[in-house]
Amino acid sequence: MRGLKIGGLLLAIVMLVGLWGGAAALAEEKPRRGGMLRVAIAGDPPSLDMHQEQTFLVTIPFSTVYNTLVMFDPHGYPNIIGDLAKSWTVSDDKKTWTFTLHQGVTFHDGSDLTSADIKASWDKIITPPEGVVSPRKSLYQMVQSIEAPDPSTVVFRLHYASPSFLSMLAHPANFMYAKKYLDQDPNYYKQHAMGSGPFKLKEYVRGASIEMERNQKYWKQGLPYMDGIKYYIIKDDGARAKAIRADRADVEFRGFAPAEVEGITSQMGNKVTVAYPGQPAHWGIAFNVDKKPFDDERVRKAMSLALDRYDMAKTLAPLTSLDIPGGPIPPSAPWALSPEELQELPGFGKDHEANLKEAKRLLAEAGYANGFKTVLTNRSIKLPYIDMGVYLLSAWKKVGIEAEHRLEESATWSKSRASRDFELLLDPMGTSAVADPDELLVKYITGGSENWGRFSDPVVDKLFEQQKVELDEQKRIQLARDMQKEIMKKSWWLPVLWWSRAEVRSAKIRNYEPMPNHWMNRRLEDVWLAEK
Amino acid sequence: MAIATPRPYPVVVGHDSALYRIWVAIWKFVRTKPLGAAGAAIVIAMAFAAIFADFLAPYDAYELNQRLQFKAPTLTHWLGTDEFGRDVLTRLIYGARIALFIGLASSFIGATGGAILGVISAYLGGKTDLWLQRVMDILLAFPLLILALAIVTVLGRSLPNLILAIAIPVIPRTARIVRSSALSAKENVYVEAARAVGSTHIRVMFHHIVPNIMAPYLIVLTAQLGGAILTEASLSFLGLGTAEPTPSWGLMLSGGAPMYAEKAPWLAIFPGLVISLAVFGFNLFGDSLRDALDPKLRHRS
Repeated sequence: MRGLKIGGLLLAIVMLVGLWGGAAALAEEKPRRGGMLRVAIAGDPPSLDMHQEQTFLVTIPFSTVYNTLVMFDPHGYPNIIGDLAKSWTVSDDKKTWTFTLHQGVTFHDGSDLTSADIKASWDKIITPPEGVVSPRKSLYQMVQSIEAPDPSTVVFRLHYASPSFLSMLAHPANFMYAKKYLDQDPNYYKQHAMGSGPFKLKEYVRGASIEMERNQKYWKQGLPYMDGIKYYIIKDDGARAKAIRADRADVEFRGFAPAEVEGITSQMGNKVTVAYPGQPAHWGIAFNVDKKPFDDERVRKAMSLALDRYDMAKTLAPLTSLDIPGGPIPPSAPWALSPEELQELPGFGKDHEANLKEAKRLLAEAGYANGFKTVLTNRSIKLPYIDMGVYLLSAWKKVGIEAEHRLEESATWSKSRASRDFELLLDPMGTSAVADPDELLVKYITGGSENWGRFSDPVVDKLFEQQKVELDEQKRIQLARDMQKEIMKKSWWLPVLWWSRAEVRSAKIRNYEPMPNHWMNRRLEDVWLAEK
Repeated sequence: MAIATPRPYPVVVGHDSALYRIWVAIWKFVRTKPLGAAGAAIVIAMAFAAIFADFLAPYDAYELNQRLQFKAPTLTHWLGTDEFGRDVLTRLIYGARIALFIGLASSFIGATGGAILGVISAYLGGKTDLWLQRVMDILLAFPLLILALAIVTVLGRSLPNLILAIAIPVIPRTARIVRSSALSAKENVYVEAARAVGSTHIRVMFHHIVPNIMAPYLIVLTAQLGGAILTEASLSFLGLGTAEPTPSWGLMLSGGAPMYAEKAPWLAIFPGLVISLAVFGFNLFGDSLRDALDPKLRHRS
């Protein structure tokens, strides 16, 4: 009897221990310290100053060196949390934003980061001095002035209450620099990387690699977890994918074509994780509206009607990941047109035979019953530029439009685009933040910096002005949709397909969530590497 | 008094028709130069494909078809389909047209330009010869493909520019060879006689010297054809030649082939084979043409 009791007690203890152990195993893994993350990246940064550049080749490696004022929550997109800002308050009229900074933040050179540095950095972005470019300053047209009343307070005063202000502030390209270097030379940061971030630039070998090492004195206690990050510069798409397959790199942060993803997953199995976090860019067609026949709305509309975007998505998706027909705002964003609204617009209707008939009728009405010859200026990069060009040419041929495919090397192509030396242009448009209408639709207004076709429509302009001050979210969504419909009804610019980014990473990478855009969540301060 | 000129060859009655003689010549060529004949067969097949592409090609070379993407070779699509669902065989047949057109045009322009410069250089001699040859030296210092690349980069990407870019590097090579033949032809007594009677330089050059350099000229022309096709393929491969969706062999090899080689090896294999075969054919044909036209080599072996 007694033996039985003891036995039962022992059994209970064993069971309890077992349960406890099991529970511990179920709990979250403990972050592991150390290790180098190996990243494959497509090229050299044109300069190191992200305020002046427009490419992920700078944001991806150099986000690790800096902090921003506020940021998108790495573990809860699209919430915005403070980075250098500890907290903030907004005045009742929503025109004064007061940010309180964290104490004890230091730059890599040991000096303290204060509100003066924040003010100097933002002034450089919003009102760039002579000789400094700021491609995104139009996103901050609501800002009137920035003040730094004491070392830990920054005040933004706005011209008008803006619904997008906070998300524009959280844009990942707004690195906070040190005032003393900007005072010496506003272009100092083109050559140097000196911030307050979790990693320090150790070595940059042009054309080969960029190496970051752990900032031992990072102001966020206990971070970062990794010893360093090495970015391997590999220009060829195929070679970058092979680097992942051969386990010479852990991740490629921009995205691979479906054929490469297939190759990697079939070989690596569960050693890699593939994520499809969203649509950061789309490719469409810009018209030079001063050139005949593109000044005629009927011709532009016919060219849109001639494209069967649904068949195109099916054809191009396995090649390029361009897979979703949509308007100027990505289909997953709240301001996007719904599929039903889209189908009402020229070239988005599902009955392609009827579209073709209508296209031919419009061309005949415009005096081009037998079609015409034109030139499509395109970038000589296969994915997705040339592939999409091939589809467009074959679709337009069916309504009699013979377009010559003029392929230009990237630099020439940018020049043709900026100097408007084109008739038709395959035009990439993208978002590097939250896809807010203030960021994406500013490209379609009169004089917009990326309105390459230089069209001008007072109705479009007016809708833009209305939405940018509309604080009621529902009303703003409606205005943004109206603006997109207006652009598409008049076929000023033809949206074609959105790109669904595929990010492939090693399963060793922990505590990391990819965001829709490849510019975002690149600081990696609390990311860690598992043993296997 | 009339002197009867004896016939050079005895004539066999009944076998005197032109057709028969051609057959005999061909048969002799095939028997003595089987490799040359194989080359000629390839060249003829290619020309045939290029000319009758519209009748031979089973499908449209430009039509995309989503349902036919990456189809392996079958009875309906003998060589499979590419990433856009276009028939590979059709595109290879149409590709022959581009390859042959660019090849012929550029080697003709290059060889003819070179021949004219070679004759002028040899005939006029002196300072003209010295300067022309130094310019040729400069051009020769660049490898063929590098020079073509540089020219096409400067002129921009279009069909006429492409032809020019391939033709220019051929000029110095032909000029060198033709100049040496023209130098010896220039020493002939009848050339001196023609000059003594007061013929113009142009007349002497084109009536008395040019016929003597026809053999090396024709040989260079055919020999360069293979090279020109290869250069076109290389330039297209490097993204400087013809542009998609034009069916060009080089483009077929550079476009989808490296990207999908694992998934669809036929995209790389067939265009690669066709390019090698065409260049091989032209080179064999050119080689045996040289043997046939060179009197010094004619009776060897």
